[in-house]
Amino acid sequence: MSSQTDSPSLAWGGTRTVYSTLAALSEYGTRAKDALVYSSAYLVVIAAVEVVTAMVALSLPPSPAPLVIALLTFAVYVGDRIADAAEDAATSPERAAFVTRHRRLFSLGTAAAYGLAVALAVLGGPLALAVTLLPGAFWILYASDWLPSLSRYASRLKDVLVVNSAVVALAWAVCVVCLPLAYADGAFTPTAAVVFGYFFLDTYVNTEIPNLRDREGDAANGVATLPVVLGVRRTRHVLYALDLVLVAGIALAFGAGILGVAMTAGVLVGLGYALCLAWFVGRTERYGRLAIAGEAKHLLVVAVVVALGAAGF
Amino acid sequence: MLLLTALLLVSIAVGTGAAILAWRERPKPGAFPLVALLAAQVWWSTCIVFRLRADTVPAKLQWLHLGWLGVVCVPVAWLCFALEYTGRDRYLRPRYVALLCAVPAATVALVALGGHDLLVVESHTIGANGVVRFEQGGPWYAVVAGYTYLLGLCGVAAIVELVGSDAVAFRGQGVTLLVGLAAPWVTNVAFLLGTFETAGVDPTPIAFAVSGVAYLGAITRYRLLETNPAPRRRARRLVFDGMREGAVVLDTNGNVVDANEYAVDALGITRELVLGEPATRVIPEYERLRDGNTAGHLTLGDGDDARTYDAAVTDVSDVHDRHIGSIVTFHDVSRYVRQRQRLEVLNRVLRHNIRTETNVIHGYAERFGDSDAGRIVQERAARIEAVGEKGRQAVELFERTREEHTGRPLAGILDDCVTRVRESHPDVDVSYDPPPADVVVSSALSAVFDNLIENAARHNEGDERHVTVETRPDAEEVSVVVADDGPGIDAQETDVIRDGGESALRHGSGLGLWIVRWGTEIAGGRAEFDDREPTGTAVTVTVPRLDAPSGE
Repeated sequence: MSSQTDSPSLAWGGTRTVYSTLAALSEYGTRAKDALVYSSAYLVVIAAVEVVTAMVALSLPPSPAPLVIALLTFAVYVGDRIADAAEDAATSPERAAFVTRHRRLFSLGTAAAYGLAVALAVLGGPLALAVTLLPGAFWILYASDWLPSLSRYASRLKDVLVVNSAVVALAWAVCVVCLPLAYADGAFTPTAAVVFGYFFLDTYVNTEIPNLRDREGDAANGVATLPVVLGVRRTRHVLYALDLVLVAGIALAFGAGILGVAMTAGVLVGLGYALCLAWFVGRTERYGRLAIAGEAKHLLVVAVVVALGAAGF
Repeated sequence: MLLLTALLLVSIAVGTGAAILAWRERPKPGAFPLVALLAAQVWWSTCIVFRLRADTVPAKLQWLHLGWLGVVCVPVAWLCFALEYTGRDRYLRPRYVALLCAVPAATVALVALGGHDLLVVESHTIGANGVVRFEQGGPWYAVVAGYTYLLGLCGVAAIVELVGSDAVAFRGQGVTLLVGLAAPWVTNVAFLLGTFETAGVDPTPIAFAVSGVAYLGAITRYRLLETNPAPRRRARRLVFDGMREGAVVLDTNGNVVDANEYAVDALGITRELVLGEPATRVIPEYERLRDGNTAGHLTLGDGDDARTYDAAVTDVSDVHDRHIGSIVTFHDVSRYVRQRQRLEVLNRVLRHNIRTETNVIHGYAERFGDSDAGRIVQERAARIEAVGEKGRQAVELFERTREEHTGRPLAGILDDCVTRVRESHPDVDVSYDPPPADVVVSSALSAVFDNLIENAARHNEGDERHVTVETRPDAEEVSVVVADDGPGIDAQETDVIRDGGESALRHGSGLGLWIVRWGTEIAGGRAEFDDREPTGTAVTVTVPRLDAPSGE
């Protein structure tokens, strides 16, 4: 009798345990996703992967450069999140709440990350240190109280069409290409120039995608971005054009013997993926996810490059 | 060398991290100099790493020279931080900072213009471990070292004050900041004395890693920059200068060492002239005040500008209770003195003049004989005299406000009032239950209960007239309820009293209820007026109990 009466409650208890375990796992998963997305930690991985890609393309020896870039990315992006938390409350309330809740931890974490990045950069010599200090210099320039005219001019760059995204792309390309070169004490070869151009244009495209989401706020604040000035449809056309220019440039570099098979194939696969993403511009409103998908392209590129490299290409 | 490089890298990482945290705290006092201090230290460490890793002797020498930029900035930034953080920002005017930077600027110029021989003896040796050792110690090197230690000591003097602060946070900040300074200092002394072998490399910046950790600890644990003592000094000065009372600070010799704006104005001199002068020359009747004779007022100024002050001398002692000076304070009582003079005149007029005039009226009214006109004139003259009497009571009440509350047993006050009313109104039944003898209240209440019981009896009508006086004492207060069964008080009268003011159209009929209110307020209590059923008024006066007068 007792076993008959106990069985249903045991079964129910077991089901409840499974459900609570799944719920706990789901909760942890959500938290992990929040931590990765809201803190921009996923960008840290992608930044390191970009440096690895550049090192492979330039045949550079292993160095702390990917780690330095990862630390820098964390410090700069999370530092921005902390600084902009109040403004983000209107456009991204969940992200702003997450950052505000962990403000102290992030503040200490970013300071430690930048400190470690600078210390590691010192090992790479003066050029590596200069590249590492570049984001900090921009940071001071934007926030400087004693150079109001210079600071105002620097802030105004953010409002100028093309220049705003080009400055970000330039800084990114300099860090990704020049830092591993500095560690290896390598020269800026034609291959380095092609890789630099690729990262510059590719970052430019990836910078304009989040601008699609922010176009109303940017228009209200007088910030001239491609979606604000040209509209969504023509922005899509511009992104197509930039990706196609890159395809042509990479093909020419391959033809000229500047790039190897593995690197060319990897980048072209990545650009094909980028063209597919560009197709979604104006056809979706989930530009946040589109931006993350655009950044994730570098994982695809490095996977193809490493796979083909391992296959002997 | 590997260990040395690793330690220097730790110092760079910690210094950079702490500098970023300090940078985020701008524009709080001390934030920017702390960033400068940490940046200078990071640059110094960085130059040593580059020097150690350079391949050629000229390259090593170049990094040695570039490192001076960090070396000379550290003491200036430290002193600026200590001064700004502790609220001594008046010493940080651009010209003073420029002056502080003179030695660092001269050092950098010396390096840039090639005067290396003053800083570095241009010889080098290569040690067993391959480290190139430069001999430092030219004549300017001694100047820089002395200057660094001097500025370091000045900064310590400012920060030490925090260690003795009452606030735990400031004490913690002070201790961690001193630890942060002591680590590189001790290391540098040990290096200069040759206590440990570092292959000619100054390990001072490595010790700055300890400083960085200390500063980080101060920032995170003791809220360095977040909770800072900078406003305290200025706030105290602001209060001292802005208070509506004159204050002159004297040293042990009786010389003026400080005076606030109010005192300078009152004494009619300038601050520059008063400072350093003996108090006997600056403060009239200072000897009398110093000897503890503060009776009477001090008059400053002449003619219409003369002001009257209450003056006092308060001793100032240090933590060991040693006399280190005194403060003379002046409180302007001119307005109060004038008011008192006016009340004295009013009191005389009410006491003598009205009584004299009404006596004269009485005298002439008697000539009318037993006529109605004569009786009415006498009654009206008596009422004028009563108004004068109430006015005198009111004036006496106001005079009490400047005196200490003298206590008097409530039973005594009520006994007197009830006896007087029973004598003047024998047809009114006054029932009264005396309170315990230990219930003591302000003597200002005599006039209050006089008026209340008198009014309750006088304005009562009918064949049977009753007035009850009931007391309800508790530990802190005592309530006295005076109730009658008369026609009651007009609502407009009590409304005016409750509101506390009259106008031409809205006013009471006399002074009695006002005396009740003012007297109760002076005694620190409150009065409430309630109607009774079927007729009558109950007035409840609730006042605090006072300590029994000494000797009773």
